[in-house]
Amino acid sequence: MAQNLSSGSLLKPLVRDRQTEADIPSGYGKTESYLLPKDPAWMFLFWEITQSTFEFIKSQYGEAVLNAARTIIRLHDVTDVALFNGTNSVKYYDMPVLFEARSWYINAPESGRAYIADLGYLTDDGRFILVTRSNATTLPPGHISNIIDDKWMIVEGDFQKLLKLSGADYIGLGASELMQVVGQRWKLTELTPSGAPTSWSSFTLHLDKVQEEDIWLNADCEIIIYGSASKNAIVSINGKDIELKDGKFTIHRHLSAGDIVDLPIHARNATGDKTRHINIKALREQGK
Amino acid sequence: MGQEKGYLALVLHAHLPFIKHPEYPDFLEEDWFYEAMVETYIPLLNVFEKLTEEGCDFRLTMSLTPPLCNMMEDPLLIERFRHYLNQRVELSGKEIERTRGTEFEGVAQMYFDKFRRYQDLFENRYHGHVLQGFKKFQDMGKLEIITCCATHGYLPLMVHKESVNAQIKIAAHDYRSRFGKNPRGIWLAECAYNPGDDKFLRDEGIRFFFTETHGILHGTPRPKYGVYAPVYCPETGVAAFARDMESAQQVWSADSGYPGDHRYREFYRDLGYDLDYDYIKPYLHSDGVRRNIGMKYHKITGKVALNQKQAYNPWEARDVAAEHAGNFMFNRQKQIEYLSTIIDRKPLVVSMYDAELYGHWWYEGIDFLEFLFKKIYYDQNEIKLVTPMEYLQIYPENQVVQPSMSSWGDKGYHDVWLNSGNDWIYRHLIKSTERMMDLANRFPNAQGLLCRALNQLARELVLMQSSDWAFLMTTGTAKEYSTKRTKDHIKRFNELYEQIIGNRIDEGYVYNLEMRDSIFQQMDYNVYSTANKEAVLAKY
Repeated sequence: MAQNLSSGSLLKPLVRDRQTEADIPSGYGKTESYLLPKDPAWMFLFWEITQSTFEFIKSQYGEAVLNAARTIIRLHDVTDVALFNGTNSVKYYDMPVLFEARSWYINAPESGRAYIADLGYLTDDGRFILVTRSNATTLPPGHISNIIDDKWMIVEGDFQKLLKLSGADYIGLGASELMQVVGQRWKLTELTPSGAPTSWSSFTLHLDKVQEEDIWLNADCEIIIYGSASKNAIVSINGKDIELKDGKFTIHRHLSAGDIVDLPIHARNATGDKTRHINIKALREQGK
Repeated sequence: MGQEKGYLALVLHAHLPFIKHPEYPDFLEEDWFYEAMVETYIPLLNVFEKLTEEGCDFRLTMSLTPPLCNMMEDPLLIERFRHYLNQRVELSGKEIERTRGTEFEGVAQMYFDKFRRYQDLFENRYHGHVLQGFKKFQDMGKLEIITCCATHGYLPLMVHKESVNAQIKIAAHDYRSRFGKNPRGIWLAECAYNPGDDKFLRDEGIRFFFTETHGILHGTPRPKYGVYAPVYCPETGVAAFARDMESAQQVWSADSGYPGDHRYREFYRDLGYDLDYDYIKPYLHSDGVRRNIGMKYHKITGKVALNQKQAYNPWEARDVAAEHAGNFMFNRQKQIEYLSTIIDRKPLVVSMYDAELYGHWWYEGIDFLEFLFKKIYYDQNEIKLVTPMEYLQIYPENQVVQPSMSSWGDKGYHDVWLNSGNDWIYRHLIKSTERMMDLANRFPNAQGLLCRALNQLARELVLMQSSDWAFLMTTGTAKEYSTKRTKDHIKRFNELYEQIIGNRIDEGYVYNLEMRDSIFQQMDYNVYSTANKEAVLAKY
C-alpha cells in the first residue's frame, strides 16, 4: 500500500509477536480428562495425567500390580443415570488404550446415549483402578424419532412425502462444506449416506408409543491408523512424511462407499539405510 | 392472514472472524473484510435503498455477527477500508480510459459506477458507519437483524456451559449497544445446536434460532410438519426454524445451481494477475505479490482454461440473474403449492445462506436478490416473505419438539471442527475457560489495571473460541494463519493469566493486547463468574 496506515489513532507503537516466542504448553499440570461429542457414532476423549498422579497410584497399589495391569478406557453408558458413582451405569465397555496417547477417538456403541469415560488400570484380578473421569456427553440419535406426539399426528404416507421434501436425502451435506467447493466451480462432494430411513411400512396409530419399524441401515466408516516409531525414524504414510508427536502418530480417514484405501507405512532412518514397512489396506463396498 | 398460500423466510448469515492487525501497515487477511464490504454488505444496503425508494416492500432476516459489527465500527478498519475503496475508484477510473474501444469497456464502466455508488453510500449516507444503514432498515420493519454467538464460538464443543452462557450474553449485550433493543433471534455459529443451550437464549430474551434440516427432522417427538414449520424447545419455548434443503440446493448444487451459469462472472480470472505489473502494483499489497484485487473482466464461459475465458457482459449477466430469480420464485410457488396439499397449515420455507455467497462468490447474487424481492412483491400473491417473528405471530401455536444436536457442517455434526487436524485446540480452549472462571470468582470486584487485565483475558478467550480457526484448519485455506491466531490467543491468555495470579501485571502488555485484540470494548469479565450460581459443567 502506498501509505502507512498503522500509526492512525494509536498512542504507542505496538509490539509484533516474536517468532521465537515459546510455543503453547503441552499440558497444564493437572490430571483430568474431557469427552467431546463428534457425531452420533464418535466421541473424542483427551486427558492429562501428571507424574504425581502416577506416583500416588503406585504408592496405593504397588508397582507390581500396575505393571501387570492393562490401561483402559472404561466407557460408561450413563443414560438416565441421575448421579453416576462409578458403578451404577447402564452398561460399560472396556477398550485398551495407551495413556501416553493423551487423546483417543472412541466409537460409541450406540447413538443417542449419554457417556462418561473413565481412564484407569484393569488389574489381573479384574479390579478397576480409576485414574481420571471425564465429563458426561450425550450423543445425537442420528435418525428420525420413533416417538409420535398424539396432538401432532400426521398420516404415515404424508410424513414420508414431507421427509423427502424436507431434504432427508441431503442430511449431512452442509453449507459450509459447500462453501469450500465453490472454489472448485460448484462440484459437489460425494453425498454421505443419509441418516433418514426411507419407509415405515408398519406404522400404526398407537399413540405415544415407540412404533415398530421397518428395517433400515445407516453406516459410515472412518479408519484410524495409529502407531509409534523410534525417535530417530522418519515415518511416511502413502509416500507422505508425517509428523510424530512424542514418537506417536494417528491418522483419521473417512471411507466413502466404494473407496479402496492403500496405506503403506514406511519408517526409515536419516541415512535411509534402515527401513521398516507395514502395509494397511481397507475396502468399503457399495451399499446394497 | 392474507391470500397467500405459504411463506418464505430468507435468511442471510453475515460473518467474518475478527481480523485486525494494527501492528502492521497492511495485512493480507484484513482483505476478507474489505472485500466483503464492497462486494456484499454495501451492495446489499444499496439494494435495500433502491427497493425502499421504489416502494417495493421486502423482508429479510440477517445475522450480523458481533465480530463483524465490531469490525464495521472499528476506526482503524474503517480508515483502511476507506483507502481500499478509494483505490478501487481510482483504478476503475483509469480502466475506463485504458479499455475504451475494447470489449472490456462495458465491464470497466460497471466497476467504476458501482464503486462510486458504494463510496457515496458509505461516505455520504452512512458516514462510514454501515451498521447505521442496517439499523435503518430494521427500524423500518423490513430487515430483522439477529445476533450470533459472541465470536462465532462452536457451542456443542464447549464442555463448560459458562462458556456457552458467556458467548450468548456478550453477544446480546453487544447487540443492544448497537441496535438499541434486544435481539429477538440468533444464528448459532455453524447452526451448531446442543440440546439445552436454548436455556441461555431464553435468559437473554431470544425467541428463535436456526438449525440444519436434521436438527428438526431428527428431533423428538417426530416433527409433524417436517421443516415446514418451526418447533418450540421443551421448557424454554424458544422456537427453532430449520433449513429447507430444496431451496438450498437450488443455489448451491453443482448440476443445477445458479452461480455456475456460464454467463456469470468468473471468480478466478482477476485483474491483479492480468494487468501490467507496474500499472497494477500500487493496488497490490506492500509485498508487491500479485493477488486478486476484486476486479474481474471475464465470464465463466464454460469448461475452458482461464486464458480461454470470454469477456464479461454485465447486462447479459444481470438478465440471467433476473431469469434465475424468476425460476427460484416459480419453484417456491410450486413447492408451497405441493406442501399445502400435505400439511394442514400454510407452509413456511426457510432458505438460509452465507451472506458472503451473494456478491463475493456469486457476483450477480446481489442482483438475484433484488429481482427476487421485486418479483415476489409485484408479480404474484401466492408466497409471502416473512421474518420468523412474523410467522410466530401468524402461528403462535407450534409443536414442542426437542431438536437434535446438529450443525450445518459436512456430515451434519462436529467433524469439521473436531478432527485429527484441529482437535489439539480443545485442551487449551477448555483449560482457558476453567482458568477464566476461576479468576472471575477470585476477583469479583477488580478495579483499575487488574480489571483491565481480566477483561482482556476474557477477550483473548472468546477470540480463541472462534469456530473460524478450526474450520480453516480443516479446509486447508489460511491454515497457517488460523493456527497462528489460535496459538497467539492461547499464548496471550496464558501470559496474562500468569501475570494476574503472580500479581505482576505489565501495563504495557495489557495495553498492547487491548489495542490489537480490541473486540468488545465493553467486555465485563464477570460474565464468567459462577459465584452464587450452580456450576453447570456436566461433571460428576
